[in-house]
Amino acid sequence: MVRWLLSLGLLFAVVPQGSPADVALSPSFNRDIRPILAEQCLSCHGPGKANGGLRLDLEVAATKGGKSGSPAVIPGKPDQSELIRRITSSDPSEMMPPPKSKKVLKDQEKATLKAWITRGATYEGHWAFEPIRKTVGIGIKKGDPESLIDRHIKKRLLFSGQAMQPEASREILIRRVSFTLTGLPPTLLEVEQFQKDNAPGAYERMVDRYFSSPRHGEEMARHWLDVARYADTHGLHLDNERQMWAYRDWVVRAFNFNMPFDQFTVNQIAGDLLPNPTLDQRIATGFSRCNVTTGEGGSIDAEWIFRNAVERTSTVFTTWLGLTGGCAQCHDHKFDPITAKDFYSFYAFFHSAADPAMDGNALLTAPTVKLETEEIKKRRAALQKDLDGVHQELVAMGGKVTYLDPSSQTGQTRQKVTEDIWFDDAFPTGRVFASPGHPTEYVDATKGRVFSGSKALKRKDVGLAQDVIEDMPPKSIGAGAKLFAHVYIEPTDKPKTLMLQYFKGGWLHRAVWGDYDAIPWGKPGTTEKVKVGPLPELGKWVRLEIEAEKLGLKAGDLVTGFALTQQGGTVFWDKTGVLANTDPATDTGQSLIAWWKSQKGKDIAGVSGPLAGWIKGGPDTKRAEKEKAQVQSYFVSEIWKNAPPEVINLRSKRLSLQAALTKTEADLPGSFVFADLPQPRQSSVMMRGQYDKPGDKVEPNTPRFLPKLTGLDSRRANRLDLAKWLVSAEQPLVPRVVVNRFWQQVFGTGLVKSSGDFGTQGDLPSHPELLDELAGEFRAGGWNVRGLLKTMLLSSAFKQSSGAPESVWTLDPENRLLSRGPRIRLDAEQIRDNALFVGGLINLEMGGKGTMPYQPPNIWEPVGFAGSNTQNYKQSKGEDLYRRSIYVFLKRTAPAPFMSNFDAPNRETPCTKRERSNTPLQALQLMNDIQHIEAARGLATQLLTTGKDPMAQIRLGFRTVLARNPSDPEEQALLAFLLREEARYKTEPAAAGQLVRVGESAPPKAMDEPKLAALTLMVNLLLNLDETVNRN
Amino acid sequence: MSGFQLWPDNPTRRQFFAGPGLRMGALALGMMAHKNAKANPDPSHLVNPALPGLPHHKPTAKALIYLHMNGAPSQIDLWDYKPKLQEYFNKDIPPSIRGAQRLSTMTSGQARFPVAPSKFTFQRAGKCGTWINTDLMPHTSRVVDEIALIKTVNTNAINHDPACTFVMTGSEVPGKASIGSWLAYGLGSLSNNLPGFVVLTPRFPADSNGQALFTRMWSSGFLPTAYNGVALRGSGDPVLYLKNPEGVSTADRRAMLDTLGSLNRMNSDRLHDPEIQSRIGQYEMAYRMQSSVPELTDLSNEPKHILDLYGPNVTSPGSYAHSAIMARRLVERGVRAVQLLHRGWDQHGGLPRELGNQCKDTDQANAGLIMDLKQRGMLDETLVVWGGEFGRTVYCQGGLERDNYGRDHHPRNYCMWMAGGGIKGGITHGETDDFSYNILKDPVPVNDLNATILHCLGIDHERFSFRFQGLDQRLTGVEPQKVVKELLA
Repeated sequence: MVRWLLSLGLLFAVVPQGSPADVALSPSFNRDIRPILAEQCLSCHGPGKANGGLRLDLEVAATKGGKSGSPAVIPGKPDQSELIRRITSSDPSEMMPPPKSKKVLKDQEKATLKAWITRGATYEGHWAFEPIRKTVGIGIKKGDPESLIDRHIKKRLLFSGQAMQPEASREILIRRVSFTLTGLPPTLLEVEQFQKDNAPGAYERMVDRYFSSPRHGEEMARHWLDVARYADTHGLHLDNERQMWAYRDWVVRAFNFNMPFDQFTVNQIAGDLLPNPTLDQRIATGFSRCNVTTGEGGSIDAEWIFRNAVERTSTVFTTWLGLTGGCAQCHDHKFDPITAKDFYSFYAFFHSAADPAMDGNALLTAPTVKLETEEIKKRRAALQKDLDGVHQELVAMGGKVTYLDPSSQTGQTRQKVTEDIWFDDAFPTGRVFASPGHPTEYVDATKGRVFSGSKALKRKDVGLAQDVIEDMPPKSIGAGAKLFAHVYIEPTDKPKTLMLQYFKGGWLHRAVWGDYDAIPWGKPGTTEKVKVGPLPELGKWVRLEIEAEKLGLKAGDLVTGFALTQQGGTVFWDKTGVLANTDPATDTGQSLIAWWKSQKGKDIAGVSGPLAGWIKGGPDTKRAEKEKAQVQSYFVSEIWKNAPPEVINLRSKRLSLQAALTKTEADLPGSFVFADLPQPRQSSVMMRGQYDKPGDKVEPNTPRFLPKLTGLDSRRANRLDLAKWLVSAEQPLVPRVVVNRFWQQVFGTGLVKSSGDFGTQGDLPSHPELLDELAGEFRAGGWNVRGLLKTMLLSSAFKQSSGAPESVWTLDPENRLLSRGPRIRLDAEQIRDNALFVGGLINLEMGGKGTMPYQPPNIWEPVGFAGSNTQNYKQSKGEDLYRRSIYVFLKRTAPAPFMSNFDAPNRETPCTKRERSNTPLQALQLMNDIQHIEAARGLATQLLTTGKDPMAQIRLGFRTVLARNPSDPEEQALLAFLLREEARYKTEPAAAGQLVRVGESAPPKAMDEPKLAALTLMVNLLLNLDETVNRN
Repeated sequence: MSGFQLWPDNPTRRQFFAGPGLRMGALALGMMAHKNAKANPDPSHLVNPALPGLPHHKPTAKALIYLHMNGAPSQIDLWDYKPKLQEYFNKDIPPSIRGAQRLSTMTSGQARFPVAPSKFTFQRAGKCGTWINTDLMPHTSRVVDEIALIKTVNTNAINHDPACTFVMTGSEVPGKASIGSWLAYGLGSLSNNLPGFVVLTPRFPADSNGQALFTRMWSSGFLPTAYNGVALRGSGDPVLYLKNPEGVSTADRRAMLDTLGSLNRMNSDRLHDPEIQSRIGQYEMAYRMQSSVPELTDLSNEPKHILDLYGPNVTSPGSYAHSAIMARRLVERGVRAVQLLHRGWDQHGGLPRELGNQCKDTDQANAGLIMDLKQRGMLDETLVVWGGEFGRTVYCQGGLERDNYGRDHHPRNYCMWMAGGGIKGGITHGETDDFSYNILKDPVPVNDLNATILHCLGIDHERFSFRFQGLDQRLTGVEPQKVVKELLA
């Protein structure tokens, strides 16, 4: 009987329900039949297509048959079943699968189908969609101290005639536990403590110590961030920096507090919808903002709103449901019961996202939260108080100063040439921004060139770049007005073109100096693009000037925006404005009446109450004198450009306070959060997954083949409903999927190997009952992550030796049966952190902006977009070089080689399972990367300071790296190597001097350099050992 | 199990490679080094053989050199000769031609769509008489008899990022495997000392409009990471971390590796994990790469007349010409796929001048590569592909003058060419209308082109798949695609 099972290749796939004989006799639909149908039949006879009117995935349809009329499946009667006739036919026009499908049924598969029909052709739902069940009668008595896990593992091993390996040594175990829970090796002290603890429960105490380390949250977060696709750049096009490390730090904290997984889920999916959400709960919603976004010019908004929503939907599918929703984006899923309607109903939860289609290449793309500390709050309050005081003073002053409207004067000539400054040290109020993606940069005379005042703007770029203001208070253009700006061109880096642009109802007024074509904006030969002349002289301050009329701006026109634009080069910009023969009687900056007229029908920012209405009414409306006086008072304090110095001074004082306040705000780090639009978008099934082909309208809902979303009454469902549904008591998938990923983290491979696919195309669980028991307990026990992990870590299955006789490796090559302890290569971060840790270099500071450790030159640069703010890698200095890898800045389009070389994903898409490759590039890195050499020297220095005996040095080094003592042959081999290298470096001390000076940390003074060099190379060897790069 | 340096001749290695560890270590397999850097054609010596059952049929090419001109070269100004356009200068493109196509938002707001005829001279070249811009591509015009020009390549994507991802991986959505990774995965490597898939990202003219490149364009996606393209770098170490640290000699490294190997073997004897043996092998390969890669990049033995084929920059590492000769040397040594990604082809404005610079950077080297491959008999077994991610519009973006204009993105048709490795030289495939705006005959979707590339390398694209996310993933996607038979010799 067992042979029958073996012949089907199921040995590693299933656990028998009852006795082996039962299994062999009745093929189970889920275990044996569905995979065959899914692989060979359902793409034509399934949910997507029903060729010939036949579906084989549904019992009713299969027993009814297709157009041919004969039932495909007649339970108990294989010889009369059309299915069997077709699969055994050799007539090309009849046989199934048809020859042109290029699919071929194996004889074994045919026999299995036949056996299934013979035994009644029982259909079952897909295992992962069925309710989670408690197993009964595992065959072990109640009260047995053996853990749940071990019972199942042993039973399965027994079935294939195997048994577990003996427990590994304490030295191996502590390193295994330490890496599993903290991603770092144990210290010598910890090893010693554990070895000396002879009281019962020593192992459990050791495990608990690592649970309570803050390093635990970091290690746990690392795995979650792979799924959450967290990174520090947008990912597409410019791939500029994005600020949301607060989300990463929140994940670390959540694991360190052992936040129950249901809360962890709700916070990330819908933290913003909880009553009075905390800052942390809003930060957690960053999960759904971690997707890659674009700011590429020319992209179509509707397409990206669609794509972002699809991505977020698929990510939730993958992360919590373990389903590949992507297929249903275009059509009903061919294999799983997810219809396109299911997918787009789910998508509707995320479709009304408040963030824009394009990220604007900005550090913070709204919606975001500011991470305001108490200290900053206080400083801002103080500034605000000062600001209010100055403002009050100014208002009071407005009523006191004498003002005579020039429009009421007659006689003498009223024309006067005046310069109206629009920019000098600061822009007027309005929306100031820069493109493409660089922040506006102000420099003082110590950092650049300044023409007047204390600051100028600096802009350096290789492409099109500019500083822009929109929505500034209207600036009137006087008669014969000349627009001007001052520029200083760095002679070594000149731009192709300079351009001044002005906004009057549209960006339609441009003046060009230099290459007329380099900037493709504006219709040539019109006021949209006026050729003024060549580039001005380099290396000195030059005044750019152009008659406003030439740009189509007439006297009396009001300008509300301007831009200082250049194509490439390094340019300083300063003092900008308009010079005009102004008639004081019509100048809105001098005449109250002229200004008041210009404001008719308009709202002014910052003015409210009756005054706003009086101004908006204009000067012609009848007003009481007292009201007129208040309007005049406002004009004098805020608008009048010839106001007396005391007013001007107060204004500038207020401006600088405002600037300081804005700066404290701008300097505050922020984090992307998820929020909905006030009015939801109408979602639809998008035909064939095309953003511009909406089909049937849909409302937010969960897939129909899973438990219903309840408690809505007639309300529209929102993300909070969705989150609660995910962690509800009826949900079959989430606990299984989540438990399985934690299992994968601990044991190296999930009970379901395809940890990202629990659908019908995914792998079957190796131990289905165990998975269900763990999942059921996890949920019933309050989603206690630490509890779950502890159950796994305390099992004998985990504690086995990872070495085993060759026959065990042959029988169970992937260790799916756990016939030995888990032995897995360390992850990229663990490998680097381990080296820094044993080398005594590691900096365990937590959180904050990503750091930039050593990296070979030209990783970012060859791929970087000209003008991206992550084009050039700026290596960190000092202690920041040695932060843990979870805090390393992750640029999606060019991840650090120490990460990608060791299979870390680039976080463009969710990654539920990393590869574990084994390549010569990894060997080269571990041997030669400066990070590893410097770490080796770090440990070598410690060895040299502890004693002179080479053997003692070897033993200490070995134990530090591997937590165990070397065997005789091991230490002999190392000793021979060490002595050889010592001799060699003694004869060539210059080489020794070079080796011990690798890296930025200073080498120790007055050391025996040849000895240190030899020890460095020996530690380099230790760090390259297979045992070192593995969790053994 | 000592003496792993001798692996290529050691029969136990093959058993070992059949074990579970080796699926993961496959890049390594492609990189096992011989002392002799030349490819060894004897398949029994290959450490990274093809998957069972591959190739599906007799290939016409052993290797692929893919010259990706990133940013979208203007088909109208290089290959798709449209003499009638001169009459349309500065006239709006007829609505019947433009239709209701979606436009990039960079020009969708333009009030007019004035036609910009190419300012360049086109001539018939070669025996075949293929039309080509001889102002900008004088060198390429001498090898057109080797080239199959395809005028009707088309894509769905309208922006660079998705279009590049599509052309390289068959999908606009990141995460799929690139064409070079597919080849290295399926066909293995003919080299025991170099990776199966190598990528070069040469410099480009400083004032051209350079779009970003993405590692996903040469990423293995869902395939094992061992099949990622390995970037040969233009400056510093050609392979990352290749050089020993200062103060460590080759002899030090050898001694360290001997001791490392002996300790690892002790561990292997204890645990019996086959992955340990695999790692020992990787370290030996790494060691050999430390000498084989410098040999690869050392041009001192290339005769002057060969170097001259590629143009004056050929000896400058990181230049396009240097990358082109490196592509030949890689293929010569058995590398399966080489990809050159040259940036700067995105001319929204100032097109004539910038396009001139781009061609000046690449024209001679492209022609040189073909001539060089041909004169050493390698063109017959090497498939060369040239092209971008989409085309450019016939109408002008920005200011229009006779000799100065810009063009926006145009995904509906663009030109690529193929040469060598089973391709019929001297032909032009497909026709576009007088505005190079719509396809009249023989459209070639990107995935058909990729199916054709696979075909030349002996692969039936429909049967070449990898199970991921519940789907049999193919380079050519789930929709039916076809090999363009007309291109085949």
